[in-house]
Amino acid sequence: MTSRAFLASLAFVAATTASAMAADPIRIGVPVGLSGANSVVAPSVVQSAELAVEEINAKGGVLGRPLALDVADDGSGAAGAQKAFDALVFQKKVNVLISMETSAARNAGLPIVARGKTPFIYTSFYEGRSCSPYLYVNAWVPEQQVPPIVDYFNKEKKAKTYYLIGSDYAFGRGMLSFTKSYIEKTGGKVLGEEYLPMDGSDWTSIISKLKASGADAIITSTAGGAPNVTLTKQLRAAGVSLPYGNLAVDEGTAKSMGADAADIYISASYVTGIDSAANKKFLAAMSKKFGADLKTPNDLSVPQYEAVYAYKAAVEKAGGTDPQKVLAALSEVSVDGPRGTIKMDKQRHAPLTMYLGQVQSDGSVKVISSFPNVDPGAQCPPKP
Amino acid sequence: MLTVALDAVTTAALLFIISSGLLIVFGVMKIINFAHAAFVTVGAYAALVGARLGLPWVLVLPLAFIAGAACGGLTEITIVRRLYQRPLDAILATWGLGTVIGQIITLIFGREVQFVQAPFTGTIDLLGVDYSAYRIAMIAAAVIVALVFAGLLNGTRLGLSTRAVIMNEMLAQGLGVDSARVRLLTFAIGSGLAALSGALITPLSSVDPNMGLPWLIGAFMLVMVSGGSLLTLAVSCLVLGGLQVIVSTFINPILGGLTIAICAAIVLRIRPEGFARA
Amino acid sequence: MPEVQQLGRTATAPFGASAKLSMVVLALLIVGSLALAPLVLDSYMVNILIRAFFVAIAAVTVDIVWGYCGTLTFGQSAFFGIGVYALAIVFTEFGFGSWQAVVAIAAAVVAAAAVAALTGWLSFYPGSTPLYASIVSLVVPIVLVQIIYSGGTFTGSSSGLVGFESFDLEFENWFRLAGLSLAVVTAVALIVLRSDTGRLLKALRDNDERCTYLGINTSRYRIVVLVVTGIVASLAGFGYAAVGGVAAPENASFTFGTRLIIMVALGGRGTIIGAVVGALCIEVASAYLSGSLPYVWELIIGIALIAVILAFPDGLVGVIRRLTRGVQQIPRGAATRLLPTMAAAAADNASQVAIEVRELGKHFGSLSVLDGVRFTAHRAELLSLVGPNGAGKTTLIRCLSDGRERSTGFVAIAGHAIDRLPPDRIVQFGLGRKFQAASVFETLTVAECLRVARTHRVRPSLTAASVDLELPPAAISVVERSGLADRLGEEARNLSHGLKQALELAMVLSLEPEVLLLDEPTAGLTRAERQAFADILTALASRDRLCIVLVEHDLDFVREISSRIIVLHQGKIALDGSVDEVVNSALVREIYTGQSKVCETAP
Repeated sequence: MTSRAFLASLAFVAATTASAMAADPIRIGVPVGLSGANSVVAPSVVQSAELAVEEINAKGGVLGRPLALDVADDGSGAAGAQKAFDALVFQKKVNVLISMETSAARNAGLPIVARGKTPFIYTSFYEGRSCSPYLYVNAWVPEQQVPPIVDYFNKEKKAKTYYLIGSDYAFGRGMLSFTKSYIEKTGGKVLGEEYLPMDGSDWTSIISKLKASGADAIITSTAGGAPNVTLTKQLRAAGVSLPYGNLAVDEGTAKSMGADAADIYISASYVTGIDSAANKKFLAAMSKKFGADLKTPNDLSVPQYEAVYAYKAAVEKAGGTDPQKVLAALSEVSVDGPRGTIKMDKQRHAPLTMYLGQVQSDGSVKVISSFPNVDPGAQCPPKP
Repeated sequence: MLTVALDAVTTAALLFIISSGLLIVFGVMKIINFAHAAFVTVGAYAALVGARLGLPWVLVLPLAFIAGAACGGLTEITIVRRLYQRPLDAILATWGLGTVIGQIITLIFGREVQFVQAPFTGTIDLLGVDYSAYRIAMIAAAVIVALVFAGLLNGTRLGLSTRAVIMNEMLAQGLGVDSARVRLLTFAIGSGLAALSGALITPLSSVDPNMGLPWLIGAFMLVMVSGGSLLTLAVSCLVLGGLQVIVSTFINPILGGLTIAICAAIVLRIRPEGFARA
Repeated sequence: MPEVQQLGRTATAPFGASAKLSMVVLALLIVGSLALAPLVLDSYMVNILIRAFFVAIAAVTVDIVWGYCGTLTFGQSAFFGIGVYALAIVFTEFGFGSWQAVVAIAAAVVAAAAVAALTGWLSFYPGSTPLYASIVSLVVPIVLVQIIYSGGTFTGSSSGLVGFESFDLEFENWFRLAGLSLAVVTAVALIVLRSDTGRLLKALRDNDERCTYLGINTSRYRIVVLVVTGIVASLAGFGYAAVGGVAAPENASFTFGTRLIIMVALGGRGTIIGAVVGALCIEVASAYLSGSLPYVWELIIGIALIAVILAFPDGLVGVIRRLTRGVQQIPRGAATRLLPTMAAAAADNASQVAIEVRELGKHFGSLSVLDGVRFTAHRAELLSLVGPNGAGKTTLIRCLSDGRERSTGFVAIAGHAIDRLPPDRIVQFGLGRKFQAASVFETLTVAECLRVARTHRVRPSLTAASVDLELPPAAISVVERSGLADRLGEEARNLSHGLKQALELAMVLSLEPEVLLLDEPTAGLTRAERQAFADILTALASRDRLCIVLVEHDLDFVREISSRIIVLHQGKIALDGSVDEVVNSALVREIYTGQSKVCETAP
């Protein structure tokens, strides 16, 4: 073979290899509750992820590589999560997991994440204190979310006694246990605490007990989605109009409750009414991409959008997708998104601006007050 | 106390409406239709479609019934007809059918949970207690269902043929009753009833492809325990449904969900005919 | 009489020498592939297979209970779940260590055994139906899941339990361990189910009543099977949780239980291999396909289930077998040798009174089917029970053979009072009952039917399918005279009506009864068959000194062979006497024809 031909073939090989490598996408795994309790909110989460990926790819991707999404159904529970995480980590071999899930699913997935050494950015609000070295959280924890509602009820609604209702799993119990101690710390009293399993839908006897107790206010913490809706519908059907704080409902779900949602108080790190340029730009882009199929962006789906950008920033800072480097970089990068500037630098959790809102009868949320940069507290204190 | 009593009666009414379809099928054909849950779901989704189309509730209910009856008729002709000699296999085949229907619904409507607004909301003041108007309406619905079917069974020719087939099929055939037609109509009506109950419960609960399942087991146990007549079914629903509410309210809602299943199993152990008389 | 020798029973293993060699080769292949596979397959597949192996073990237990014993069980998932949660709860509460592991295994076994025993007691009482047993099996996992839900943080409720420390084994080794366990369970199941005990289980499935009337306590066998399979399923769940690190309520749910049934149905019930194949295929396909075709995969499963139930009840394995072996019925098993037992010592030690009945009554509310029935029957009597339809003849037979049937009165069989005992106990006193419709075991061969009939005299082997079959001379004589001796390897369902009747008679005679109850035995027989029957009965009464009670409508037959006739009318004994007395009686004519006029009888 002549040297020219040899060089030409070498160049050809190099070119194809280079382009193959350049086209090699960075895979983002999204295990989410397409079925089960979370199925009401999951589509909005997927939409957020899709918009983020589209925007980033349009600008050249991350370090020259495009992002690709792998969505898997975790059934909103532990058994389904095991299968979804296994498929994403070991079959699809994703570089990172970014998702919102029930606590049951998250807890079941963590051991797999650790075995696969895959970074996991959890974008759902939750009960706190989940401390895997592979886990980063950019959504709120009880220390950030509960005080605004309880303080408001104590002061404005003059509530002295509370009734707590939740779904029986880590999130429901964790949130309500924090709520109970906060209520007692601020001088109130909890008259009852009742739970149904995550996919339970018949709240009849619990509602009857609530009415019999004569409590001044209710605070609920069910799994996001269906349980929220059935509980609210049945509460309204039974004529309950007490001040109602819902720790786990998002705008999208509230919209699907229709008029029943009016007067629910929520405390969230995102509402569509946030008056910032970043939020307006985000909402416009979502509208343009999804049109009539748009699912209302909400406190469970917007962190997903921001998390994809956070991952991009971390990979760029780390110079690659090496898990250990990316994990270190995640606590150092900050993202400017619809919720403002977010940095997961407090023991892998993030300080957030919280909004206390009241749901209106058309499903929109009226912001009553806001609290900037609320600290998440000591979620994962380093071991001595 | 009154609230608990109302809870019990309205729960019993709901259970009655859902189980009546299963009872009619079991009584005539001695087969358990495990696709019953799927037919309930079909009715719920029919109600969803009706609501989306803006139909008034008066039309939504018959729409649901017809949807269920059509599915039921098709099922009887293609599957159930071949399995009369193999009742346990019929349970399995109808379970498979239930899965198929659930998946088809998912393919068409998606997996998400959806919601239907109640036709009327608000509470009624009963003796000092504010109680959900829709739940009270369920009692009326149950009574109407019971009356209509008792009327059908006792007052029409089809009803007469059906009762004959229930008592002694061979003899009925010998007397010229087309028992195949009776079976087909019965299965269709039972399925229509299931779908109707699905449409009725959507305002209280949610609509998703698996919604019928929790009701299936309860309905199944109630039918086994009631042995075959609508009257004993009503009694069983009141007794066991009431027990369920009492346990849910005073002990634990989770154990309450178990009450029907456990009590029914025990009753059947002691008295295999259930509550039926002789 | 030919000399009767007591020949030792030589039981051989179910497989001959060449078959043994192929088994060894197969075993080596399996062990070899299990050792090598993890090195070749990618880690995701290894992961899936480990879980699939444990699920397949549970599926095998479902096949044993359903395919072999005939109970459609949705509840094996409950036992699987017990194993899962036993491990998860112990390791969560007490951490991980060797004593904790021992406690966890013990908890899994004990809890499963207890729940299985309770479930069995609830499902398999005398008089229960397969439908009721299915219902109970449905309720058990539901109750268990609700208990899990109400356990708060102890059981993890809806969240399940995660994060507990578990056995530190490499994934490749988990694969080998799980695969080996599956292979062992399958092998043991196949050996036991091909042995005499396996035949007995199939007999339970085919005809529970016949088994009871052969002296077999069917409830006890079923409960034992349930306990054993429950423990095995629990250990499978234990392994599943040990490798997966997650305990979720779905692992115990009735949906999972139905999943197991679907695997067995699609693979082929009653074959064990079918359960394994079905489970592995569905678990692996599910893992790969449910991600890409989520809705369609479940749809396919549903349609496949319907298709299998309607058209291919044998499942995949059955279809393959039929394709490879053809439709021809090949006689099964090694040729059986019949050997006569030692003739039982003659009746000088036993009392002469075979049946004693005093003041027997059977009432339904105010309706009296039997009233004040009293008679005594002796050995070597051939007593015919006649009377118009509705007189109560079959009811009387039922009251003699089942202690729970009668409302009042006293019955003793072969000197033992039957009190309220169930039929299997009364059979052990020396009673044999032959039903009107030939009641045999349809899917067993003639030889296997006879062997099952010997169960209460000879314990069936747990591992071997015996070749020799010892039968009492009376039974052998029936087998040879009817021509069944040439068809020992044929399935009972292929026999003609007359041969089935002969088979049932031989089975009943294999019990070596002192008292024989026959309900319309000549119905549907040809003239020649009826004559042969008459000869057999007469010989049984005179030579073997059996007490035979015969319900018959064929009065010529009755007249020919009976030594005594009892006439029942409207639940009471109208006449009890010799053949001549009864035949010539005006009362009898009146009862049968309603005429009071005397008719001429032929000389």
